[in-house]
Amino acid sequence: MWKYVLKRIGLALITAFIILSISFLLIKLLPPSLPLGNDDTRYAYYVIQENLGFMQLFSFENVQLGNYIDRGKTSSGTVFYCYEVPAFTQYIRWLTNIVTRWDWGVSTYINPNNPAMLIIASKLPTTISVNVFSVIFSVPLGIILGVIAALKKNKPTDHIISTSIMIFISIPSFVMITVLMSILCYTLGWLPTQWPGLSASTAERVKGYILPVICLSFGSICGYARFTRAELCEVMASDYLLLARTKGLSKRQAITRHALRNAMVPIVPSILSEIIGLLGGSMILEKLYGIPGIGKLYVQSLNAKDYNVLFVDMALFTMIGLIAGVFLDISYGFIDPRIRMGAKK
Amino acid sequence: MENNKKIFDAQGNEVKLSSADFEFCQVDKKIHDTKFETKATTFAKDAFKRFCKNKSSVVGAFIIGFLVLLSVFVPVFNKHDIEKPNIAQRFLEPKLFETGTGFWDGTKEVKNIPYNPNTDAPAGYAKNAVVEVIATREVLANNYSEYAHGGTYVYELDDLGTRGYEYLQHVSKIQFTKDNDISLNIEFADQVHNDEYEFAQYQIELLDSMSQRVAILKDWSTDYADVSINISEQITKNVKGFIRINAKPVDGSTKKSVVLIENLEYKTTSEDEELVALLEEISITDANATKQLGTKDVGYWNSTGVTTVINVVLTYMDFIYDPYEAQLGYKKDFVIGKSIIQKYIDNGWMEYDFEEGVESFKVLDEENCPILAITKQTENQDLGTINLVCDVTYYKYLGYKKMPKFFMGTNASGYDLLKQCFVGLRTSLLLSIVTFAVCFTIGLVWGSISGYFGGNVDLAMERFCDILGGVPWIVVMTLAIVLMGNNLVTFAMALCLTGWMGTAARTRTQFYRFKGREYVLSSRTLGASDGRLIFKHILPNALGTLVTSSVLMIPSTIFSEASLAYLQLGLQGVQSFGTILSDHQQYLGSYPFLILFPALIISLIMISFNLFGNGLRDALNPSLKGSD
Repeated sequence: MWKYVLKRIGLALITAFIILSISFLLIKLLPPSLPLGNDDTRYAYYVIQENLGFMQLFSFENVQLGNYIDRGKTSSGTVFYCYEVPAFTQYIRWLTNIVTRWDWGVSTYINPNNPAMLIIASKLPTTISVNVFSVIFSVPLGIILGVIAALKKNKPTDHIISTSIMIFISIPSFVMITVLMSILCYTLGWLPTQWPGLSASTAERVKGYILPVICLSFGSICGYARFTRAELCEVMASDYLLLARTKGLSKRQAITRHALRNAMVPIVPSILSEIIGLLGGSMILEKLYGIPGIGKLYVQSLNAKDYNVLFVDMALFTMIGLIAGVFLDISYGFIDPRIRMGAKK
Repeated sequence: MENNKKIFDAQGNEVKLSSADFEFCQVDKKIHDTKFETKATTFAKDAFKRFCKNKSSVVGAFIIGFLVLLSVFVPVFNKHDIEKPNIAQRFLEPKLFETGTGFWDGTKEVKNIPYNPNTDAPAGYAKNAVVEVIATREVLANNYSEYAHGGTYVYELDDLGTRGYEYLQHVSKIQFTKDNDISLNIEFADQVHNDEYEFAQYQIELLDSMSQRVAILKDWSTDYADVSINISEQITKNVKGFIRINAKPVDGSTKKSVVLIENLEYKTTSEDEELVALLEEISITDANATKQLGTKDVGYWNSTGVTTVINVVLTYMDFIYDPYEAQLGYKKDFVIGKSIIQKYIDNGWMEYDFEEGVESFKVLDEENCPILAITKQTENQDLGTINLVCDVTYYKYLGYKKMPKFFMGTNASGYDLLKQCFVGLRTSLLLSIVTFAVCFTIGLVWGSISGYFGGNVDLAMERFCDILGGVPWIVVMTLAIVLMGNNLVTFAMALCLTGWMGTAARTRTQFYRFKGREYVLSSRTLGASDGRLIFKHILPNALGTLVTSSVLMIPSTIFSEASLAYLQLGLQGVQSFGTILSDHQQYLGSYPFLILFPALIISLIMISFNLFGNGLRDALNPSLKGSD
């Protein structure tokens, strides 16, 4: 078992490494985005880039003009030219820094000269708090709805629940966010129209959580409910449940002791993996509601081409995705004793 | 052969039978089976029958069909321009019914707008477009305003200067005579408006035009009862001058001093109209109006202290407003050039002679002629242009036969949202269908190879998919867009780059399911090649399931495209759902319909596709064939 777990984790790490390497090289192949501002701020930016090993500065005295990407004048009056280091060299330097010193570089644009790791760390709590509330809210509700629908299969209750699940799962998340914002925030004015900052009052900040949590929960409630319904329906039709009833258990006993427990086998791992997956947050929600989380940071750093921040963020997202997958596979083995993955036949 | 078998009945008696006791039941030479009266069903027919049983899927299919038809025909038949911005018709509300029906009629409720007495309408809104006033309420304000009236004139002592007192005087001089019987009535406020203030002591004097004192009308006093003075009685000779109210703090005062004038009125018995008008101008009957005057105005009051107003009355209105009428209806004093007028004349809509001028204007065709009246003709000698100042019906001027109706309203550029939505839907559908076709083909081939051969080939191909699928799709999209530009082809290609993996995985599963079956084995034994096995034997069996489960790729592509637009990576220069929604996001608070209609359509198409896809999957599922 442990050997299998280690193998899966190792494989995930290798996959993440390849993904990040490819992404790094591809993104570095893009034409660099030049900083705006006067010569001094631009020079400061290039110095950071040079220290990171991604660019090369030359002053007017020691270089022939070639394919420089930018030029300017320092405050001391020297003309400088900026060149980009070849993408592969940049990649080697980036990798060396990470492997030898666990140095993911500093931000160049969003929060200049601050370590990218710290920037991510500062954004993570907001994203996590929103998602944790969403999980607390959506898991019980989703499972309860699914159970009700399965127990009342093909009755009006089931039809209502299944139809609403169908509808809500189809409506795109951004439409849901926008419509809820339009109704709750603008028309009725119950909730703040933007994520309240740290300076806002406690009551206001609590209110600020309501909309993101609702928006994030809608999708997962529907997902859990649909999954639970399908699983429970299958279990209800199984032979062992019939046996349970024929040996004299009441319907309630049969459902709680046999059906629900068995239906939970695939549901629990999916919840666990979804909890991990939720850490990634929703980029669109964070952008539309102005939540300062890592999803918004990702979009920001991508648009601003703040590569170091982008890569830490991307590494985080990739690892979350891969680990969630590994976790899902492994947890099956823990929860359902019949499954022993990687075991010899 | 002798037939000696005897037949007995139940009682043991012998029964005699002859050939006459028998008859033929079949005399034809050949015996035929009767044909089945029902027709044999095929797989497709069975699937269709089962699909039709699922009502919601049928509804979904119909909605999809309807929307697809609309997306084809609306852009063709709707003539509104969505290429060139038309500011005149921006932000029109959705209108389906006639104005005044109260629902979807193009009107909107506007709240808390101050009433502007000059235009007899809410400030900033056209009078003719106010459909109905719902409520008005009066609010007191402590600042003068264009839209307010009334109030109390505050004369606050600021810097007492060298004189030791402040003064307030009107600028225009009045001819006081013994005969014209001019009297001055002043109404003061009873109480100060604020605890920080107290009343000053005041003095009223009459000065001549050289600012020399002629008479003291009321000496220093703190008596704020109403004052009524007949000036003509107080003077000894005719004088042209003005009155001045001096004020200084009460002795030993620590608070700020103030004089509050509710009303200051001159009256005369004279019938000289000029004098009456002048006195009326100078009187402070509306503190707000007096405060608004400039130094050159007749009624201007000059002070060494600070003058303000308090308790002016502002009227706020809630009303129903018709932007159509305001933006496209009657327009006053609209300037039109000669060439356009000439066109109207040539069309036979109106009569006008540029030599003769305004008098010669006559409408011939009331239905078509945009011009209702011409008030002025202006000529620019240098440029040789002639312009006419007219009252027009603006929508006719824009070329509409009647007031246009926009079912879904118009956006910031004046585009018809209805057309925009369906052009967007067309783009999104086109994009997703192309993507679906490409991804499906690639996925099918990839999955077939991976699933059929298995082993190391499968492993390698799976790892490749893992890695490619692990690259965040937003990065793939960004790279593609930055490298190849923001157009439809790039979008389709970038979406295809990662989109095929779902189909590939499903195909692979199907191949694992079928490749061990006996019919495959038998075909292989007969010497069939791998290609033949894949494409002739296994794939056709799996195709139904694959197509239906991959149909859901269409809504998910629409979703991806819209998501990208929200992240500012959307299509440029093309209308699509994503660009419409993300462009209109900023108007969510002010014009929610701009978001709601596209959101409604995209939700509708997503729901329909999901219903349709689910129904199709159940219908084509081979394991359910022949059930129910």
